[in-house]
Amino acid sequence: MGTRGFASRHTVILPIAVSLLATAPAAAQDQPPPSALINQEAAETVAAARAASPHTAESTYAYFQEEAEAFIADATHQDMWDPTDPRQAPPRTPWGDPDLEGYWLNVAYVPLERPDELAGKPLHTPEEAVTAFVRWATQDAAVDPATVHYDWTEFGMDNWQSPIRPNRRTSLVVDPPDGKIPALTPEGEIRLQAQARRHTLESRGLYERCIQGNQGPPRVPFVQNTGQSQIVQTPDYVILMTQANSDVRILHLDGSPHAPDSVRSYLGDSRAHWEGDTLVIETTNFHESRKWDGSADNLHLVERLTRVADDTLLYEATMTDPSTWESPWSIEVPWPMMEPPGLFESACHEQNYGIINVLRGARVRAAEYEAESAR
Amino acid sequence: MPMRFSSAISALTTVGVMFALTAMPSAAQTLPAASFPSYTPPQTASGDPDLSGIWQSFTTANWEIVSHSVQPGPYAELLGVWGAGRAGFGIVEGDELPYQEWALTKRQENYDNRTVVNVTNDPSRFDTGEPELQCFRAGVPRANYMPYPFQIFQTPEQILIVYEYKGASRTVYMDYDRPALDASWMGTSNGHWEDDTLVIDVSGFNDHLWFDRAGNFASDALHVVERWTPVSPYHLRYEATIEDPNVFTRPWNIGFMLYRHVEENAKLNEFQCIPIVEPMMYRPLGFYDEDVTTD
Repeated sequence: MGTRGFASRHTVILPIAVSLLATAPAAAQDQPPPSALINQEAAETVAAARAASPHTAESTYAYFQEEAEAFIADATHQDMWDPTDPRQAPPRTPWGDPDLEGYWLNVAYVPLERPDELAGKPLHTPEEAVTAFVRWATQDAAVDPATVHYDWTEFGMDNWQSPIRPNRRTSLVVDPPDGKIPALTPEGEIRLQAQARRHTLESRGLYERCIQGNQGPPRVPFVQNTGQSQIVQTPDYVILMTQANSDVRILHLDGSPHAPDSVRSYLGDSRAHWEGDTLVIETTNFHESRKWDGSADNLHLVERLTRVADDTLLYEATMTDPSTWESPWSIEVPWPMMEPPGLFESACHEQNYGIINVLRGARVRAAEYEAESAR
Repeated sequence: MPMRFSSAISALTTVGVMFALTAMPSAAQTLPAASFPSYTPPQTASGDPDLSGIWQSFTTANWEIVSHSVQPGPYAELLGVWGAGRAGFGIVEGDELPYQEWALTKRQENYDNRTVVNVTNDPSRFDTGEPELQCFRAGVPRANYMPYPFQIFQTPEQILIVYEYKGASRTVYMDYDRPALDASWMGTSNGHWEDDTLVIDVSGFNDHLWFDRAGNFASDALHVVERWTPVSPYHLRYEATIEDPNVFTRPWNIGFMLYRHVEENAKLNEFQCIPIVEPMMYRPLGFYDEDVTTD
C-alpha cells in the first residue's frame, strides 16, 4: 500500500506522494486513487512496478531476515500498549510539571481506521496483538518491490527498524467508537476533491512542497519511520520539534489568548495548559491553503500528551470541524522513546529535487490518461 | 536576466578611511560595550545566565554586511520604496572582508547573479541566486542579523534558538560536544559558558551560505565562534569570529546589538515563505495550470 519515498545519502528526506489515508493499510484498499489523473496507486501501475523491480519481496526479506527476526523477538518481549493498563505517575521537572522532555517516535502499524472484519472489536487480546504485530513487521521487512525504495544497505526508514511495539488497539481512531473517520459533509467532500493532487504545483501536498513535514498537526503516523520528534520544555513553553521538515511548534503555556482571527498559519496557533498529568494543546488559526484530508482553516485541534510510562508518551488528538466531518473524531497513538541524538536539520525546500520529478511524472500520467480517455 | 542593483561598493572606501582614523575597538564599531554599566543577568533555575526571550537585531547587514548606501529594490519602477534598502554601517571589524583573490571575483559574480534563480534537480541550483530570495535557510551568523525576531529557549543541556524567518532552528548542545554528522545550513552548534557569556562553536556548514544579499559568501570550511553576552535586561551583545581558510586570508570579526522584544504579546509568528517563492521558482519549469498544453 502506498508509495515509499527514498532517502538520499544526504540529509534531506525527500517528500513523497502518499495521502494521509494511505496510513490505513486495510481501509484505503478499495478507494479510487486520489485523482483520476494520477494513477500511481492503480493496480496495473503497481503490478508493472513489481514486474520491473530487480527485487522480490522474498529476496528482500532474505536480505533483512536476521535483523528483522531479532527486532521482532525483542519488540514482542517489550511492554505492549494496552489502554486498560494503569498509568504510571510521570517524572517531574525541577519546577514541578510532568516531564515530557526527550526524543519520541510517532509510529504505528495499527491502521488508522478499524478494518471491517474487526468491527465491534476495539481491542485485540494480548496474543492477537502480538500476532498482528509480527505479521505487520514481517511484511514491512519484506518491502513491496513495487515501491521506490532507498538504498537497502543504509539505516532504514522502515518502521521495523524503530522502537515500535505491539498495540492492543485495532485502529488508531478511538472515537467514534466504530473506529472509522466520520463521514465527510457535502462541503468537506467538495473540498477533499479540490485538494486532490494533480499535475500542477499548487495542487501538490504540503509535504511534497516542503511547506510542512508529514507530521501534521495532527500527528497521524506516516507509512514510513519518519515520526521522530523532540520535546524541549521550560516553565513557560513546550516546544515540539519534528524531524520531518524540521518543523517547530512553540506551545505557549502563559494562558494568553489565541492570535487574532486574521493571523493564519500552516502549523496553526497553539496554546497549551496542564490538566493533571496531561499537556492539553489547543490549535486554531490554520491557513486557508492548509489542506488536511478535506479540512482547511476551520480545523479546531485539541491534542493531549501524557507520559504514561518512562519510555512511552501517549498522544491523543481530537479533530473538530463541522464544515468537514459529520462529527468530531479522535485518535490515540503511543509514542515510544527514541535514543538521542535524535534530530538533524531537514532542509527540504532548499533541495526539493523531488517536486520536479513528481510533477514531471504527474504530467506524463496526465497525458496518458488524456490519451486513454480520447480513445 | 539578473536584476541590477546600484552598487554599494563605493561606500566601502569612505568608511574604511574613517576607521583608520579612530582607535580600532575589539569588535565592530557599533557596540556600546563601555557605555553599559556592569550588569549581572538573572539566572535560570539551573543557575545559568538567562538569555531566554525574543530578540532582534536592527542592523542593515542583511542587505550588505559591510557599510553601504541606500539601494532601490528590484523593479523599483513598480514597487517604489517598498523594496528599498536603508543605508547602514557595517557590522564587520575594519569594515572589509579579507577575501582571497579568487573569492573576490566569486563575490562579484554572486552579486551580479544574485537574482538569477535556476531551479534544477541537482546541486547546480546553488550556483546562482541569493539564498534568502529563494526562501532558503540563512545559516549562521546571518540568521542572527536578518530583519526578523528569534527566540531563545534554555534548558541545562540544550539551548534552542528558533528563528521566525522560515521557522529555522538551531539546537546548541551544552552537555557535550557533538560532531557535525553532516553538512547543514544552520551548522552544528556546541556551547559553553564563559562567565555570563554564551560561547557557541558552529561548524558543519554546507557550501551554499551567503552573508547577505550582496554576494558575500562562505564555503563549507566556515567556522563561526559566537559570543552572546547580556549587557542589560533588554540587550545582548553579539560578537562572532569567522574563519574560512578556503575563502578568506584570515579570521575576521563581527559585532552588533540584539534588542529584546518587550511587548506583552510579543510572540514569534510563522514566516512560511515557500508559497511566496514557488511561482518564482517553479513557473519557469511549467508547473502551473496555465502552462498545461493540450496537444
